[in-house]
Amino acid sequence: MKTTYQWLKDFVEIKVGPEKLADKLTMAGIEVKSIQAAGGDFVFEVEITSNRPDWLSVAGLAREIAAITKTRGRQPAAQVKLKYKKGKENLGILIKDKKDCPLYTAKIIRGVKVGPTPDWLAKRLELIGCRSINNVVDITNYILFTYGQPLHAFDLDKIGHKAEIVVRRAKKQEEILTIDGVKKPLDENILVIADQAKPIAIAGVMGGKDTEVDGSTKNILLEAAIFDPVVIRRGRQKLGMQTDSSYRFERGVDHQTVNIASVAAANLICQVCGGELTLVKAAGNRGPQEKEIILNLEKVSRLLGVDISSAQAKKILDPLGFKTRLSGPGLKVSVPLFRQDVKQEADLSEEISRIYGYENIPLTLPAFYPQNQDLAAGNFISSLKNMLTGLGLNEAITYSLIDRRILQGFSGLPTVIEVENPLSQEQEILRPSILPSLLKCVGHNLNQKQEDIRLFEIGKIYRQDQGDFKEEPVLGLALCGTASIYLEGGTVKDNLGILYLKGIIENIFLRLGISGWEFKQSGNQAEVYLAGKKIAELFDLSGKQLELFEIKNKHVACAWLCLESLENSAKLEKKYVKPALYPGIARDISLLVKERVSAADLLKAVKQAGTALLAESAVRDYYKGKQVPEGFRSITITCLYRSPERTLTEAEVNPLHASVCQALTAGFQAQIR
Amino acid sequence: MPGFDLDAVKNQIEQDAATVDSLLKLEELRVKYLGRKGVLAELTAGIGAVPPQERAGFGQKVNVLKNTLNALVAEKQKLFSPRSGQSPASSFDIGMPGINQNLGHLHPITQVVDEICGIFTSMGFVAVSGPEIETEYNNFTGLNIPLEHPSREAFDTFYLKPAGGNQRQRYLLRSHTSPVQVRVMKTAKPPLAVVVPGRVYRPDAVDASHLFMFHQIEGFMVDKGIRFSDLKGVLDVFVKRVFGKDVKTRFRPHFFPFTEPSAEVDVSCIICKGKGCSVCGKKGWLEILGSGMIHPNVFKNVGYEPKKYSGFAFGMGIERIAMLKYGINDIRLFFENDLRFLRQF
Repeated sequence: MKTTYQWLKDFVEIKVGPEKLADKLTMAGIEVKSIQAAGGDFVFEVEITSNRPDWLSVAGLAREIAAITKTRGRQPAAQVKLKYKKGKENLGILIKDKKDCPLYTAKIIRGVKVGPTPDWLAKRLELIGCRSINNVVDITNYILFTYGQPLHAFDLDKIGHKAEIVVRRAKKQEEILTIDGVKKPLDENILVIADQAKPIAIAGVMGGKDTEVDGSTKNILLEAAIFDPVVIRRGRQKLGMQTDSSYRFERGVDHQTVNIASVAAANLICQVCGGELTLVKAAGNRGPQEKEIILNLEKVSRLLGVDISSAQAKKILDPLGFKTRLSGPGLKVSVPLFRQDVKQEADLSEEISRIYGYENIPLTLPAFYPQNQDLAAGNFISSLKNMLTGLGLNEAITYSLIDRRILQGFSGLPTVIEVENPLSQEQEILRPSILPSLLKCVGHNLNQKQEDIRLFEIGKIYRQDQGDFKEEPVLGLALCGTASIYLEGGTVKDNLGILYLKGIIENIFLRLGISGWEFKQSGNQAEVYLAGKKIAELFDLSGKQLELFEIKNKHVACAWLCLESLENSAKLEKKYVKPALYPGIARDISLLVKERVSAADLLKAVKQAGTALLAESAVRDYYKGKQVPEGFRSITITCLYRSPERTLTEAEVNPLHASVCQALTAGFQAQIR
Repeated sequence: MPGFDLDAVKNQIEQDAATVDSLLKLEELRVKYLGRKGVLAELTAGIGAVPPQERAGFGQKVNVLKNTLNALVAEKQKLFSPRSGQSPASSFDIGMPGINQNLGHLHPITQVVDEICGIFTSMGFVAVSGPEIETEYNNFTGLNIPLEHPSREAFDTFYLKPAGGNQRQRYLLRSHTSPVQVRVMKTAKPPLAVVVPGRVYRPDAVDASHLFMFHQIEGFMVDKGIRFSDLKGVLDVFVKRVFGKDVKTRFRPHFFPFTEPSAEVDVSCIICKGKGCSVCGKKGWLEILGSGMIHPNVFKNVGYEPKKYSGFAFGMGIERIAMLKYGINDIRLFFENDLRFLRQF
């Protein structure tokens, strides 16, 4: 909201300059966004929080300034004597539902001359960014900004022949052409002001074109009312409108101000535009009663951490418009009607601390003791992230909301959760898989000519499950490109393939104390099982599958892992195991096997044939290419035989190893080289 | 006599010696030529086939070869022996790239979250997490935010289409981390000191400082006798540890439906040191935190007695803090995951 320094001075004595005033307002909770010198005045742009509609006016701000700068305010009196000529005419006001409209007042002014606005008034409106229309309309706006009470002037002669104002909900299929020249469809959610035939204004939002005050207007009906904040809010949201009026009605206008403002407006119209007030009518409820709050200063002092006496509190609250009486150790505070936001002691604590000055409250540290509640999520995720960066991966964070089109080409996905009000197609659904997001990052980095891409993300995936929404954390991995490995012997270039992923995953398992996992392959993808449950999937993607992500002529190895399974299976308590006491005997077997023979199967056979004396066995080397026939590969398996009880002899190991070799040659048609 | 062409043997020895670059290869060389069945032994054994008049000369030449070889082996032995105390002069070039282990990088958001959570946990807070799919109650009503009030405007929200079937609740994507306050307080009793990092969602148009998804950290402390001055003290410690000891803090009144009194926390601009620059809008202050004393209505909603307990809560946007800390001027960079960006942190 904008206001000016001189305008404020109409209502309060200001002894400080604009800069200093801005500073004081900001520190009292009225944030001054900017000050601009213009036309011999200073324009303040202030941000008013939604709980303080009483600050949405010059008079309201002036009251605050008087309190914080300890000067005298010139607040308008609650009762203004109105001199008017009572005519013979009458006006009916029919409020269909007093919940929608607790108060409606109308004043008829006859014989006005509509014309240009006096300079002083036009200038003030211009400074705060309000365009001058004509003297009558400008006065209603001026009063709105001065007192915070929205007003509307109708051309009386354009209202239907039998003078009656009806405040009602619109009917289905009714419509109205508003003064901005746009036809608005109405319905029963929208409150309107109507004559006997049709709506003439959208209540609290905007008037109708048909009853607009223009150059030919002679007689006007001046409306000042209170409308239900929620009704106004729903209506204007539905119509996609927001006006200075609706902004104030939504936040709540004050019963007493209706009278003050409408009288001030009527007086100013008569004074500026000529004309005579001929009728004053009101309908609706009596205003609410002032609330009383008992304020316990001891409690307030305890809450704030600073001692506030009753006398101090009184000195703070009275200038803000509260009426206070000392009552025992506390204070009886009666809350002015324009402060509907003050409902309980806590709200008064804020008023006291605000004016006392937050900067005057000391810094303390709470007396605190260590938590004994088992709330902490632990640092599982944090340590996992550190392992992954240690393994050479970079952490990505991607959006959980995605475009459903990037899921094309992924099969076996669950039912997705859809967003009701996305701003664009890119935010349509919650991702059911973490991989598309990571593939997008891979695509981006390839575009940026990155050669060695290794990414991970820990984030959630979302799905529908039997009419319920589920979110679950996963680890996503994606590798693409070439790793350049510098070695003493020279540089080796290697494609980042699925075995890199396997290595990463196994490293994590080992570090987490997980054992007994199993990789199962089907085509160009693999799954990881732990205790019979699938906990991860690995993919080697290429060609068409990657087109959507702008990845061409590349393979991407990617995987997801279920984080809960990882966390639940982790065994982080360590137990020391003594190293083997007796030396073992190592034997290598170099095999030539058909390519489709799985290394895992070979190792299984080795283990079985090796009996309990085979302490360790592993693939030590593999080779494909020259010297190995097409369709075959060479694998070297190393076997370590060892006994926990004695030193083994060659005589014991030789026949055992022979049977291991025999198992391989017989079972897999392998050739020992 | 091709088998006894001593010049060829000599050449071969020279060639083989040139490839010796380790003790192992040296041993191979020694065995090949000086071994029991080595080349020289073979030559000596074959001396009978040499015409008698040439035998002496031949024997001499073989001896010379033997001596040369012995000297060579001894010299090389010295070279490769670790006890020699001297490394071979040119066996490495320190100008070559170090053999890289390719350490990866944590995302800057993670680093800032870890830093902030670390500061609070060192003060006795515990870090917890909560769901991103929330109920209207936890996101709004329970926090004293009426569903149809302008105070909700700061919390524009993504709603989720109901799941097929008979889902009674209306679900949304949390627009702040504060619903975790409601969740934690409903399940645990004071004293409590909790921090909650996480993703939040708001349907904001995307530009250099707005996104539809970002990260927040929520914190709150509840016990008997927690004071507003404690809020100031704790947050002052926090700000100084994140931004440095010289940074000033400023608490100014604000409005949040779930706290009363409420305070916005500003820090003196870390770019211009409070003099006024484009980052702070010439004000010298940067807004970084919202905070306040937990509203009695929130306590009522979770079943705490407002008369018995008091507490404070605060919340902040992680991207904003990361942008200030690292001098990043576009929030979208965090989610592009460009390796040239990630590798800087």
